[in-house]
Amino acid sequence: MQIQRRSFLIGAGGAAAGGLLAATAAHAESEAPSAPAASSDVVDFLGANQAGVYRPAAQQQHACFAAFKVLSRDAAELRSLLQKLTVKAGILGGGHKANEALPASELTGVTGAPPINSGIMGEDIPTAGFTMTLGLAGSLFDNPAYGVAAKKPKGLTDMKVFPKDQIDQEWTGGDLILQLCADSSDMVHYALRDIMKATRGQLQLQWKINGFHNRPRPDGAPRNLFGYKDGIVNPAQDEKLVWLGKDSGQPAWAEGGTFMVVRIIRMLVEFWDRVGLGEQDGMIGRHRGSGAPLGQDKETDAPDYASDPKGETIPLDAHIRLANPRTKETAGSRMLRRGYNYELGVDLNGNLQAGLIFASFQQNIQEQFEATQTRLANEPMTDYIEPFGGGYFFVVPGVQKEGGFLGEGLFA
Amino acid sequence: MTAPAAPPATMNDAVAAYHDYLAERLVELRGHALTLRANIGNGAVTAAMQAWLDAQQTWQRVGAAYGSFGDLGDAIAPGSRGLDGGAESPDFKGLRRIEYGLWHGQGAGELIPVVDKLLEDIAALEAKLPETAVEPSDMPLRLHEILEDAQRDHLSGRGDQGSGLALALARADVEATQEVLEVLRGLLENLKAGFPARLDAELAAVAAAIDATQRDDAWADYAKVPRDERQAVNAALGRALESLSLVPALFSTD
Repeated sequence: MQIQRRSFLIGAGGAAAGGLLAATAAHAESEAPSAPAASSDVVDFLGANQAGVYRPAAQQQHACFAAFKVLSRDAAELRSLLQKLTVKAGILGGGHKANEALPASELTGVTGAPPINSGIMGEDIPTAGFTMTLGLAGSLFDNPAYGVAAKKPKGLTDMKVFPKDQIDQEWTGGDLILQLCADSSDMVHYALRDIMKATRGQLQLQWKINGFHNRPRPDGAPRNLFGYKDGIVNPAQDEKLVWLGKDSGQPAWAEGGTFMVVRIIRMLVEFWDRVGLGEQDGMIGRHRGSGAPLGQDKETDAPDYASDPKGETIPLDAHIRLANPRTKETAGSRMLRRGYNYELGVDLNGNLQAGLIFASFQQNIQEQFEATQTRLANEPMTDYIEPFGGGYFFVVPGVQKEGGFLGEGLFA
Repeated sequence: MTAPAAPPATMNDAVAAYHDYLAERLVELRGHALTLRANIGNGAVTAAMQAWLDAQQTWQRVGAAYGSFGDLGDAIAPGSRGLDGGAESPDFKGLRRIEYGLWHGQGAGELIPVVDKLLEDIAALEAKLPETAVEPSDMPLRLHEILEDAQRDHLSGRGDQGSGLALALARADVEATQEVLEVLRGLLENLKAGFPARLDAELAAVAAAIDATQRDDAWADYAKVPRDERQAVNAALGRALESLSLVPALFSTD
């Protein structure tokens, strides 16, 4: 620490110093984030639904899942927090040139104050395909200080503990989650730091984890850390399994939202690597090389369970078969998966702490995620994975017009 | 607190008021160090631990943790950073070394020499205080950075030498910051009207959040404080630090 980092007003009486207060808020008028310039990697913030779920179509390469305790003292503070986060999402997603005006709410009004931005991304902040997706946990609705209990979406419970889970309390909980995605890891870091600085005192990190998305090898769906193509089958938006519609039976404000499940799953990669390929393929139900269902050629081929009732080609307890039996009864339990891989140092036994940040989006956690997870309860792969953290969140509807804010419906 | 009835109107007056405050703290510190020496000599471990806390908190209230008294200040309570062997190093001295000894079963044989050296260092600092004048330019930094040190050294857990009393020390840092704010209040109000009042509220929130971690008026082991209570402290402190970080700029002539 350098003590003499700059010179100071010494011995000055008050009045003479007044001129120093000239605010830097030269652009005080525009409070709302300005519309981003057209660019191939801009993901529109505005829309009926939030970005980071179906938009962009190809998920970004990097992500941070950050769950926060909310320390707002009352509904007014909560509202202002959500407005602040909305402004941040717009600015970060739109990119920002150093010579462009910032909304007054972004400025300190003190000449010579520490820089507003950390400089990580250089002077001009690129868009980098950035999206911020905001979710609220049941605990936020339950907090009597906010008076929003009646707005709580049905089914927004605490995360259910499944038979093989090893939940670590340090990795669960939180009232609010931000899923920050971008095509560069520095942008993800920049965004989190920027958001936390702007909300200091109101948000306190509960847990956070960064993830990376692999490149397709050689093509098609990217591979997870077991070496298998993952996320091959995802429901399309028009299958209407994700967004809450008009007749969802949920509180009216929730229309256009969705439920998000985050599960942090340690994968015992050393153990997995000591298992024969045939056994690995049997546990997954796909060929490792091509990603095709066992007995098929291409990853996009549909498994033919009808002509394999005894599981001679694809074992009855293979992961893909239990997760999605491809029956009429189970079609509705499909969900949108948009997970990321993570690495997190070293376990006590000397193994890599690595795995999957499972993130799914669905209309109904119980009928989709939990129903699927229940079918998977005793799959052979459970020996190689250990879910230890995460949570359930409600991804609030999108902001449809300038001046609106995420979670506005809570206060209507 | 020794705040004058009216806040100092010039930086020189502020520094003078702050000097009076420091001189009183150093007298207190010497008293606590003498009690500490007696308790260690008598093998009264619990009383020695309390005397150590009193001394360390008084040193925090001096607000000199980041080296503003140069070598003299550094000698009172350096951490174990940078020492080969860390806390086990023979070069580890001062109040934090005594903390380490008391919480690791060490007795008079090991600790009395450390306390004696501490008493010498305190006497040297007292003797030189008039000429080791606090630089006026140091005051705005002090207002900001005493609590940066609280976050870096205490609430991170990294400065702990076994006592687990991070919150007690951070609480004393809040008081030190409030004292500096008191002597700078008039100047700061002129620079940015209403800003001292905002800092008052934010510092009070930090103090309240820290106090809320106590059980039966006793400090909890920081490692065992529930996460939600730590979050409340960290949130309040973080908010205050963002505001305090504007202070040097407000006083800057650049």
